[in-house]
Amino acid sequence: MNLLATPSRLDAEAPHQSRRSRTDVAITAIVVLAVLAAIVMGLSTHRFVTLANAKAILTSASLVGIAALGLTLITIGGSAVSLAVSQTVAVAGMVFLSAQSLGLLPAFVIAVVCGTVITGLQGAVVGYAAANPVVLTIAASFAITGVATGVSGGTTVSPTGTGYDVLNATPGGVALSVYVLIVMALVVEWVLRRTGFGRSLYLIGENRPAARAAGLPVGRTTVVAWLAAGALFAVTAAFTAAFNTSANVNLGGTLTFDAIAAVLAGGTPISGGRGSALRTLAGAVLIAAVSDILLLRGYSTGVQIMVKGLIVLFVVVIVHLRAKGRQA
Amino acid sequence: MPSTRTDEPLVRVDGLVKSFGSTRAVRGASFSIAPGEIHALCGHNGAGKSTVVKMLSGQEIPDDGEIRIAGEVRDLRSRQAAQRSGVALVDQELSVVPALTVAENLMLGDLRVGWVNRRRSSGRRFRTLLDSLGLGDIGLDRRVSELSMGERQLIEIARALGQEARLVILDEPTATLSDVESDYVYAAVRNVAAAGCAVLFVSHRLGEVLGLCHNVTVMRDGAVVATTPVAELTIDSLIVQMLGEAPHRLDPRSGDDRGGDADVLTVSGLSVPGRVDAFDITLRAGQVCAVAGQLGSGASDVLRAIAGLVPAATAEVRVDGVAVRPGHPAASAGAGIAFVSNDRKAEGLFLDKPVSWNLLATRLPHVTRFGVINRRRWTATLAGLVELCGLDGRRAGHSVGSLSGGNQQKVFVGRCLGRDDVRVLLLDDPTRGVDVGGRAAIHALLRDAARRGMAVLFSSTELEELLDLADVVVTMHKGVVVQRHEGETAGAVLLREMTHGAATVAEVPR
Repeated sequence: MNLLATPSRLDAEAPHQSRRSRTDVAITAIVVLAVLAAIVMGLSTHRFVTLANAKAILTSASLVGIAALGLTLITIGGSAVSLAVSQTVAVAGMVFLSAQSLGLLPAFVIAVVCGTVITGLQGAVVGYAAANPVVLTIAASFAITGVATGVSGGTTVSPTGTGYDVLNATPGGVALSVYVLIVMALVVEWVLRRTGFGRSLYLIGENRPAARAAGLPVGRTTVVAWLAAGALFAVTAAFTAAFNTSANVNLGGTLTFDAIAAVLAGGTPISGGRGSALRTLAGAVLIAAVSDILLLRGYSTGVQIMVKGLIVLFVVVIVHLRAKGRQA
Repeated sequence: MPSTRTDEPLVRVDGLVKSFGSTRAVRGASFSIAPGEIHALCGHNGAGKSTVVKMLSGQEIPDDGEIRIAGEVRDLRSRQAAQRSGVALVDQELSVVPALTVAENLMLGDLRVGWVNRRRSSGRRFRTLLDSLGLGDIGLDRRVSELSMGERQLIEIARALGQEARLVILDEPTATLSDVESDYVYAAVRNVAAAGCAVLFVSHRLGEVLGLCHNVTVMRDGAVVATTPVAELTIDSLIVQMLGEAPHRLDPRSGDDRGGDADVLTVSGLSVPGRVDAFDITLRAGQVCAVAGQLGSGASDVLRAIAGLVPAATAEVRVDGVAVRPGHPAASAGAGIAFVSNDRKAEGLFLDKPVSWNLLATRLPHVTRFGVINRRRWTATLAGLVELCGLDGRRAGHSVGSLSGGNQQKVFVGRCLGRDDVRVLLLDDPTRGVDVGGRAAIHALLRDAARRGMAVLFSSTELEELLDLADVVVTMHKGVVVQRHEGETAGAVLLREMTHGAATVAEVPR
């Protein structure tokens, strides 16, 4: 009976293989076409291929990118997304500016601690009590805004010193935040690939019950991911506040969804277990570059936002189809 | 009624055949059920019972053979088609919706309830239905979540009957119920039969089969062994029919002294409310112990509770004399308990990840230094494990999901092996869905683990596995330990204890 089983299994697998590869070929073709179209669009756009424009793209990608790196950790770990990014950034930014009288570094440290604690608390509830991260962070975003409004009296915070201006420096003609983005992306990528924490995070993100049954520290790993994410949100906050030279509860603006868009456009699936920091970096740059092309071609803001949505949709569908192809 | 009962069967199954791939799950099943008859379908695991049930209820299409209901050949190619032909299935898993009311649950899947629910007319119909099952005191507007498990099972039966069923199939309806709750089900089943339906009753509990049913069809290896009236059967003759030549283990294991007499695992007073009552066990190093029990016997719950995966469990668990914090899987793992779940996909492997990641998932601290992965140690440990499990080293980078079931299970078991810090290995049905070759390989791995000084505790219902692999077999029935077997053991005894418990053995005529 066993001898009979072998050939029939092989037969059964053969069509699967060919179907999988056909889907793969189709997906690859679509991706290649899309990339070619983008390149053609870029090359044919006046003033797109210039050093100054490259710097502009990177600068506009940098603030969203740093926050998106933090979000990447949350997403890979299977906690979907945090919807409280903007609010956390606003609070950390307000703290950063009002602590300027202590000097730049202490103010920065205080802001990072603030972002870390706020986000880490949410991570603890998600990690240990298995709360739904989406619901929890919606609630948290209201709580954070409420407390911040109460404490600040609803006013705009002005800097109490001038140390913050260092963050607006442009060494080598490129904004400081771009260097920070690149360094942070490399650090996060290294942590994900080379540390036990990174491995656990991928495993927990892929199958949380299995990780639990295997005795992995599910709660602790999740909390560490959220803590790190909070620190990265605070870094974004410091740069955003320094750039604006003032901060109120709306400092974060549309950052939450911009960061989510960057993570998704990089091809990190929302369900967790896969993805990387470098992908998120690419996603942030991709969105910034496409917005830049549209801007240079004179399209309105409305069109830019709509295209951002289409990019996210496109990548998410491609990622989904590829994942399905792998399972088949 | 009695005349129709003998002359004209209501349901007649003739020569059903079904293959999956090259495996013939059912090779010619024939039997018939008269109106008003309660007909039992028995057989050991893998005998083909559930495949027959699936074919009758339209979930699988037979390769050959016919199903006649009231004399007509029926083509049951979907659950809806089966329902329209009057076949109702009460599944092993409860499918009532706790958040809905009794009436709303009864309406689900009822073909006569139209797009617009007509509550009032169906209400009257449902009321008489519930009354006929002895559920007169249950209001139609009660939420199902307020009902006991037994009552929920009855609602399930009521729903099946509400579809104007002529054949009602009950697939292990009492497996997870207490005695009192089971009694309600028996009464309901008798009512159903008295109303003229044919009932097919699938069960592992031989006592209830003999007490409730009129005729028993026993299947073995996909074929029907015999259909016998219960009056001519005893528990023992039924077991002989189910097993054929009963497997038997003669020589007691010589290995009891190999690990010294150090107690590795001590469990006392393990209870899971409604599932397990006061379970005790002590395991020495090098011992392989089995907890034998059917679905709902609590065997699986015992293992899960020791692994810390049952928050409601109370127990005192000690590993090498050190108490383990209950209800925390990470604490159990830290104390040296490794658990292999019976659900490899949902609670076991990380299917999307490479074999290497899966094998090393539980020992990340050992391959990292200050949290950073040490590549040399990673490669060395991986190579050792791949060798130990007999896997193909070239596939270490492939995703586990691309391996065969047997190899996946090897990875799953293998990730707990070859470590000094794992003292106890718990395996919940370790060879479920694994072919013969893979099974032998996994057994070899487990014996090897025991020889290296681990204590191995596994649950199983497979007699051959229990007899081949275990030094000690503890049988369980309805949440309590029936008997502990060491040394010479007969398969028939194990099967009887698993299916019938201990208390009633004396009542059975020899």
